[in-house]
Amino acid sequence: MKEKLVNPNYNVNINGRRRNGSIWRWVLQLSTVVGIIALITLLLNIINGAFGYAVLEARVDPATLAVDGVPLEEQSKEQLMSVLQSNISSAAFKKLESDQPFAERSRANVYQLVIERIVKYDIKASWQLWDSLTRANEIKATAAQEYPSAQLRFISWFTSDFVSRPQSSEALTAGVRTAILGSLWTILFTILLAFPLGVGAAIYLEEYATDNSLNRLIQTNINNLAGVPSIVYGILGLAIFVRALEALTSGEIFGVVDPTTANGRTVLAAGLTLGLLVLPIIIINAQEAIRAVPQSLRKASYGLGATKWQTVWSHVLPNALSGILTGTILAISRAIGETAPLVVVGASTAISFDPSSPFSKFTTLPIQIYQWTSRPQDEFRALAAASILVLLVVLLSLNASAVLLRNRFSRKY
Amino acid sequence: METTKYLKSLLTPKGKKQESAVMAQSLQSQENTKYVLETKGLGIYYGDFQAVTSVNMPIKRHKITAIIGPSGCGKSTLLRAFNRMNELSPGTRIEGEVLFEGENLYDPTVDPVEVRYRIGMVFQKPNPFPKSVYENIAWGARIHGFKGNMDELVESCLLQAALWDEVKDKLKQSGLALSGGQQQRLCIARALAVQPEVILMDEPASALDPIATLKIEELMQELKKNYTIVIVTHNMQQAARASDYTAMMMLTDRQTRSGTVIEYDDTRVIFTNPKDKRTEDYVTGRFG
Amino acid sequence: MTIYKRAEDIMLRKTFENEIQQVKDDILLLGSMVEQAILNSVEAMKKRDIKASERIFEEDKQINKKRFEIENKLMVLIATQQPMAHDLRLLASSMEIISELERMGDYAKGIANINIRMGDTPLLKPLIDVPRMARIGVDMLHQALTAFVNEDVETAKSIPVKDDEVDALYNQVYRELMTFVIQDPKTIERANWLLWVAHNLERVADRVTNICERTIFIATGEMAEIKSTDDEFWHSQRQQK
Repeated sequence: MKEKLVNPNYNVNINGRRRNGSIWRWVLQLSTVVGIIALITLLLNIINGAFGYAVLEARVDPATLAVDGVPLEEQSKEQLMSVLQSNISSAAFKKLESDQPFAERSRANVYQLVIERIVKYDIKASWQLWDSLTRANEIKATAAQEYPSAQLRFISWFTSDFVSRPQSSEALTAGVRTAILGSLWTILFTILLAFPLGVGAAIYLEEYATDNSLNRLIQTNINNLAGVPSIVYGILGLAIFVRALEALTSGEIFGVVDPTTANGRTVLAAGLTLGLLVLPIIIINAQEAIRAVPQSLRKASYGLGATKWQTVWSHVLPNALSGILTGTILAISRAIGETAPLVVVGASTAISFDPSSPFSKFTTLPIQIYQWTSRPQDEFRALAAASILVLLVVLLSLNASAVLLRNRFSRKY
Repeated sequence: METTKYLKSLLTPKGKKQESAVMAQSLQSQENTKYVLETKGLGIYYGDFQAVTSVNMPIKRHKITAIIGPSGCGKSTLLRAFNRMNELSPGTRIEGEVLFEGENLYDPTVDPVEVRYRIGMVFQKPNPFPKSVYENIAWGARIHGFKGNMDELVESCLLQAALWDEVKDKLKQSGLALSGGQQQRLCIARALAVQPEVILMDEPASALDPIATLKIEELMQELKKNYTIVIVTHNMQQAARASDYTAMMMLTDRQTRSGTVIEYDDTRVIFTNPKDKRTEDYVTGRFG
Repeated sequence: MTIYKRAEDIMLRKTFENEIQQVKDDILLLGSMVEQAILNSVEAMKKRDIKASERIFEEDKQINKKRFEIENKLMVLIATQQPMAHDLRLLASSMEIISELERMGDYAKGIANINIRMGDTPLLKPLIDVPRMARIGVDMLHQALTAFVNEDVETAKSIPVKDDEVDALYNQVYRELMTFVIQDPKTIERANWLLWVAHNLERVADRVTNICERTIFIATGEMAEIKSTDDEFWHSQRQQK
């Protein structure tokens, strides 16, 4: 372009400004890249731990347990039960019966018990995925050398069986089904408590409450509660839901008491505790969503002679719904990952049967992960890695379904 | 009250009888009161601040009354006082009276909800609900217990708003998909759905292009046959073109920033030979 | 470039005001053209100067051209400036006034025309009253236009009175000419011509009255016919019959 007659007081410096802009752009891009790298590293680390070679040695050869020539894998439940009974102590058998009667157990469950208690595969050594892929031959040589009588198997810890098997103390047969179900049951009660209360409170605070000092105090408190450490909620839950409201949470009031628990350490208590924890999050997000509904919409509604409730129900809420659901997603994500308060409230770390009612004992995925990482053997770390992957999948699918719901409600209609 | 009985009969109308019901009610009211709306010594306060002082003006039946004046002199506040929309902002109160068919709107026994659906409002920026065109109009009727033929009502309202032809095959589409002018006419149709007697318009065309503006003005000329219209406008030429009566508002003085009506007259007089010099200065554009 | 120190200093509609001032100046110019034409036409008749009359005939074209020029400007102002109230009355009345001025120019042209048609024919009688009528008429016009430009209502109200003088002079001329005709019917043509000239000048004075009414309308918004004694005279004349 032709040169403009520039006033000497101005130093336009377009190139310099552009360079400056470029530098900033690279800086910002760098921060994004660092963040992405960190995430990918985390993910790869987890995947690394969830697959790999392992040397397995059976204490009792499964071939010797064949009944009438039928190998172990193909035996029926009764055959398996007889194998079990003949190979473990009667006291142990009776305990298994009392934990969960054999009549109710599935064949897979009994098979697992046989593997766990009798065959008892030992893992002598295990390697992670990267090693397994890059140093395969080396590993095979080592295994053949040091453990000649054992098998070398490539184990994917993260399989569909993993998800469907109940928990057990044997690494090979352990699964996270109990934990997943426990988590889902807990989240259910969390949402049942927190969603209506939270959204209701948000509607009241935004639409009905006047701006006086009491309401401002309430608002400040809610904002602060969102930042309270979760262990505090755990202690609160213990004191109130587990102890004081034991009659409710143990099911006594309803006459449905879990025979194994006779106390308040149940799914219901955990759900309620987490509900209190996420309540401030839901309230704050719902308030933001309601505030974001433009005032012109309300004015249009009032101008037609609608009452306040009609305006809220027909216009404010439907338009705030997507924001409210976002808040709920955040709440669910937070609640699923909570460990400390649930430990306090009394989640079991070693149960192997699924929760059957709100009043049963339970465990959750994060607790399961925590428990496995605290065991010394390598294979439990692999299990932990696999269950982290499961947790991520559960989280992602919950998020995805909530996002789908949100998109459905936030179409401009 | 006989007007309530009439209203109840309005809520269960049979199609086209709605229009005549409105007319019948207007005729009956005409025997009772001289003006549809009238303010007597009206003052409006936001907390301690007095926005409007001592306004005495009538709104005549089936006429278009325009309220003009420089910005910040309380035109919109005055307009909102006619259907008690001021009360949506906390801390507002009035002194004096606003009479609707002879009865004070601000009497403690009067429910603002009832006021608002008999005196409807159209706002400056078109604000249709994020629902379908059909629903926009039907919702208002529904919350007031409309039991008649909804399709007919929707069609009737859209016809009166000169929008029917443009949307008759798009009734289920979102109201927000229409153009600005169409949206504003949709808002007018929506206001008509609850059978108001008066329609208040707060700068209805200021956000629209000139053609859409002219369409709204023509629409107003037709609407005034069945309804009474009060319009606040910044656009003097619009007030001159479209209204029958004009009220000129101005601040009483710079310090208090409180507005009042300094002249009210036939539009033809205001724009050819106004009596107050301040009005003259304003309409000739010499007022700063 | 004008630098405004404060927003309050920005005079509103300065452009419009300037344009209005220009229009007023133009109307004054047109008025003086018409005044000149009237005086010249009578002078030319007095001196029997055919050439001068021919010039006046031509100059009328200038008057018409000027009138349409002003009219155009007025139309543009009305279309583009959205005049209201006083401004509207001013512009609308200006249209009227230039129309009146153009008619007055036509009267002057008519007088010049008569002078040309008369040719060598001598005047029936020396012109005494006719130039006096012209003088008064032109004075009235001048004052009326000044009052218009200054929106001087009082002056505008007082001018139409002078119309009575003009009417009286006209009656005098009429009677004199009638006397001539009765005495010698062959003078009827020449008498007619002179009567026509006097008639034109009497119409000029009437038109000035219209201008005064317009001026009052601009200032007050009231359109009222100023009663002239001439109407009363003819009214009483009819009654007598």
